[in-house]
Amino acid sequence: MRVKKEALVLLLAGGVGSRLNILVQNRAKPAVPFGGLYRIIDFSLSNVMNSGLTKVGVLTQYKPLSLMTHLGMGEAWDFTGRSRGVKILPPHTGFKDSDWYKGTADAVRQNIDFLERNPADEVVILSGDHIYHMDFHAMLEYHRFKKADVTVGMMVVPMSEIHQFGAGIIDNENRIIDWEEKPENPKTNLASMGIYVFDREYLLNTLSRDRAENDFGMHILPRAIENDNVFAYPFYGYWRDVGTIQAYWEANMDVIRKNSGISPELWGIRTNTEASGLSADRPPAYFGDKASVSCSMISAGCRIRGTVHNSVLAPGVVVEEGAVVKDSILFTDCVVEKKCVVDLTICDKRVRIHEGAVVGAGSNHGFANKLQPKHLYTGISLIGKEAVVPSGVTIGRNCIINSQTKEEAYPGQEIADGETL
Amino acid sequence: MIKPSTLAMILAGSRVDELNVLTYYRPKSAVPFGGFARVIDFALSNLLHSGIEQIAILSQYRSYSLINHIGTGAAWDMIGRYRGISILPPFKDNMDQADWYRGSADAVYKNLDFVEYHKPEEILILSGDHIYKMDYQDMIDYHHRKDADLTIGFIKVDIKKAHRFGIAAIDDEDGEQGGRVVSYWEKPESPQTDWASLTVLVFRPEVLYRALEENQKSTSFEFGRDIIPLLMSWDCRVYGYKHKGYWGYTRTVEEYWQSNMDLLGENPLIDMEAWGLRTNLEHRGIRDAQPALIQDSGVVHNSLVYNGCVVEGTVKNSILFPGVQIEKGAVVENSVLFFNNHIGADCCLNKVITDVNSVFGERVSIGPDIGTVADRVSLIGWNNRVPDGTIIGEGATIYPNLTAEQWTKYIKAGEVLK
Repeated sequence: MRVKKEALVLLLAGGVGSRLNILVQNRAKPAVPFGGLYRIIDFSLSNVMNSGLTKVGVLTQYKPLSLMTHLGMGEAWDFTGRSRGVKILPPHTGFKDSDWYKGTADAVRQNIDFLERNPADEVVILSGDHIYHMDFHAMLEYHRFKKADVTVGMMVVPMSEIHQFGAGIIDNENRIIDWEEKPENPKTNLASMGIYVFDREYLLNTLSRDRAENDFGMHILPRAIENDNVFAYPFYGYWRDVGTIQAYWEANMDVIRKNSGISPELWGIRTNTEASGLSADRPPAYFGDKASVSCSMISAGCRIRGTVHNSVLAPGVVVEEGAVVKDSILFTDCVVEKKCVVDLTICDKRVRIHEGAVVGAGSNHGFANKLQPKHLYTGISLIGKEAVVPSGVTIGRNCIINSQTKEEAYPGQEIADGETL
Repeated sequence: MIKPSTLAMILAGSRVDELNVLTYYRPKSAVPFGGFARVIDFALSNLLHSGIEQIAILSQYRSYSLINHIGTGAAWDMIGRYRGISILPPFKDNMDQADWYRGSADAVYKNLDFVEYHKPEEILILSGDHIYKMDYQDMIDYHHRKDADLTIGFIKVDIKKAHRFGIAAIDDEDGEQGGRVVSYWEKPESPQTDWASLTVLVFRPEVLYRALEENQKSTSFEFGRDIIPLLMSWDCRVYGYKHKGYWGYTRTVEEYWQSNMDLLGENPLIDMEAWGLRTNLEHRGIRDAQPALIQDSGVVHNSLVYNGCVVEGTVKNSILFPGVQIEKGAVVENSVLFFNNHIGADCCLNKVITDVNSVFGERVSIGPDIGTVADRVSLIGWNNRVPDGTIIGEGATIYPNLTAEQWTKYIKAGEVLK
């Protein structure tokens, strides 16, 4: 069998994504559920599949179990076959590198044997953290056309957001001539999407040259721009780093919103439906006689008897009669009992909200969470996996109820704005 | 490792003429049901939950829909060292004669080499056409306890409808559970009991082999009409196993529609989740559909809606399969819309079954006015483009794949448009 010399893909899926708070308590950021049926990493994996690339290494390190279960053997993204495959690459103890990944470049360096074993002219390095739709095949063509050593996927972002990204200044041939990593006083609004195409030989040489260079954005790229051929590949379209609760919530709402530019089905996004709790064994969603649903995504296996507005419901969610769910994201098998109100809330899997409880009460949206003011400050409340909200309890804005919280843990009938339980 | 002792053979070959355009391109067993599944999924899921893992499907009518649906059998966990589903189509014999199955018994007879190869301790023969939940293992246990040559599953039916089934007189040997079959009549004109055969048969293999051999001398080759009476005439130990619960026979369009309606309501007669119904999500790629999107103007009441639907109009008492789109102002009531139908703005559909892939223009009206009760089901065959403003009376039948020239503005109630 002829071994195709196609580009090798390395997907960096080790990010903790700590700003996603309790959503990443038990899983890595790429494994966080999204859009009812999906997980964040599905977008990168599906882009890889739809670009015709079939050899993928997924670099994990933080809480990889959920991610590994989700990837399975990769058949959901058509990665199974004689010359195809998805490999999980966890950190490992080696002769020298006996440590956790110290950065993006270090993670790749520690898996250099994987690179050496798989012949390819180019290596595509991606992050598994983003919601977008992109053709890497076109980017590879561009990389070859430019005879680049490195090509960086870049897009224009609002000036106010550029401080979160690597920023590049380009000439009129898209050659990157200057680079600032997370600049405080930015000179440009052209941001790196964390998507790189490397010439394979170039990457191997670069990584072996200076073992202190642990991060692509901080170390590798600035030096490459100085000495070698680095080009920007311009991207126009929907792309979101859903690294904060607010951004995560907005991107979910974009899936519902008409003309937002995001459409998982049209983008050909695939997920592993066999992974636990997804649609594999679920019948169609049932809408009762008194159901009132608008501007919402409802997955298979849901049972809706109450009101759902502007919300994303994963498989198996139950909304009972008289309950109202608004501007919220409910993960698989959440139950909202009779006469509850759930407003501007993200509920992790199997949360149970008992009769008459109110989550997201009052209008004090700006009263940030006291423990995590940088995570929750726009009014969104978080309920952790398998937590219970007892009957009649009222929970305010920017609250956090930790996973597995039981009825006994509640101090009273009211959880004030900004409190954490 | 324990080898399975039961071989199940599913009779899935028949077209069922009464189902009209729904079975033009597929056997009855592959007809969509339940908003995401197919009729045969009920038998397959029953087998899965009964722990029966060696399965053959006898099929000869337009098998490809069924073959696509079965896939590798993984959806029902039927792959493994001793697990599997084989589809057995008719084949040419040594004399190069194309040998169609002449009936259900002939189909099994022609595959006896396959059956004997598996050395089963019992052979379970069942129809792939019915909607029910049953634990076959319990019936097989009964079969062995009675040391029976044949055990037949029976269910009580309305005596007025009993003439359509195989009917038995069962003695009181085991009361509620079953008893010896004293008499058996296939589709009797004036039935004497209301115990109808479910077409679920457990055979002692040697007896089945002998009966099939004997039956070859005949001119009719059906289990109900020929094999069961033959065993009765031989004085074999034939037992009746009494099954209780829902049974959807669905051999007419009205019955099929009614079974669909039995999926709806707060306590549906057919509870797919409780029954553990499984289907092959690879078939038609429904696993890749995103969650259903209900837009701001959408209204959905007492209905089932699968992933991949987009609803901007009003849906009541209906079942939407994956990929159905209902545009603004459209009203769909008491209807079953198969995969990928597109209902244009301001359409009105009342008591309609539409096969897959049709596009309805704007202001199309099918059936009586919304809110009034329709007597008859309107049937729309697949791959049609219904022009804007077309009015179709109730009970009409539209053939599949009509060309633009074949359409007229008004189609009367009960009319058949070919």
